Amino acid sequence: MVQYSQVDRSFAALADPTRRGVLERLGGGPATITDLAEPAGISLTGMKKHVRVLEEAGLVTTEKVGRSRQCTLGPRRLDDVDEWIGSYRQMLNERFDRFDALLQRRKGTPR
Amino acid sequence: MTADQQQRTATVTTPTDREIHIERIFDAPRDKVFAAMTDPELIPEWWGPHGTSTVVDKMDARSGGDWRYVIKNSDGSETGFRGTYREVSAPERIVQTFEWEGMPGYVSVETATFEDLGDQTKMTSISLFHTTEERDGMIESGMEGGMNETLERFDAVLARL
Repeated sequence: MVQYSQVDRSFAALADPTRRGVLERLGGGPATITDLAEPAGISLTGMKKHVRVLEEAGLVTTEKVGRSRQCTLGPRRLDDVDEWIGSYRQMLNERFDRFDALLQRRKGTPR
Repeated sequence: MTADQQQRTATVTTPTDREIHIERIFDAPRDKVFAAMTDPELIPEWWGPHGTSTVVDKMDARSGGDWRYVIKNSDGSETGFRGTYREVSAPERIVQTFEWEGMPGYVSVETATFEDLGDQTKMTSISLFHTTEERDGMIESGMEGGMNETLERFDAVLARL
């Protein structure tokens, strides 16, 4: 049986606009919790919670540097999630290709 | 890929946290597309993924009517999908609920509109889910039937991490 839990966590992590903003920001390089909290306009405690969700999903890693906590992307990347949605898109395309082929057969004069 | 093929490839986007938006052009006039899509006898020919067979348990394509399809996988397992038609307005609009029996009780609403392009028809389908998690569960269910190869590849990616 396939385990979905890691993917579930990724999607849950991505469901929040603040967390997506964090990932975008970290795409430009490492940042501390303070660096992330200020532009997002939320408290340090709030940002710590968001970062923890991202960390549990494997989308962010953190490291204590001096008195602050440094955040970086990884080890998992958004590519995994893109691939997941891509597979859904492929499933739908195959379905609609079959439907279109059926329409052509019913037309009697395939072009 | 030719321009024609490109045009006929479905676009699938998630414009908000609770929606899946699908657009696709079919190479047939609108009344034909609508008739084929609401014909229970034709569902087994196109709805289920390759390598599976689809049985239409019920399909009463009228406002208020119910539908239920069962996908039978090659390994003998079965996956059920069901819902109710809220509105069936030939040839331009179908609103129906959608429930994957793998996540019972989680119901989305799918609104499909069909635009007359002469010899072709553009279908736009918007699925609205109660929560983001339910939407993502649906994306998983799309994997359930027949996408196992991709799923195994994806698992292999996870295993490496």
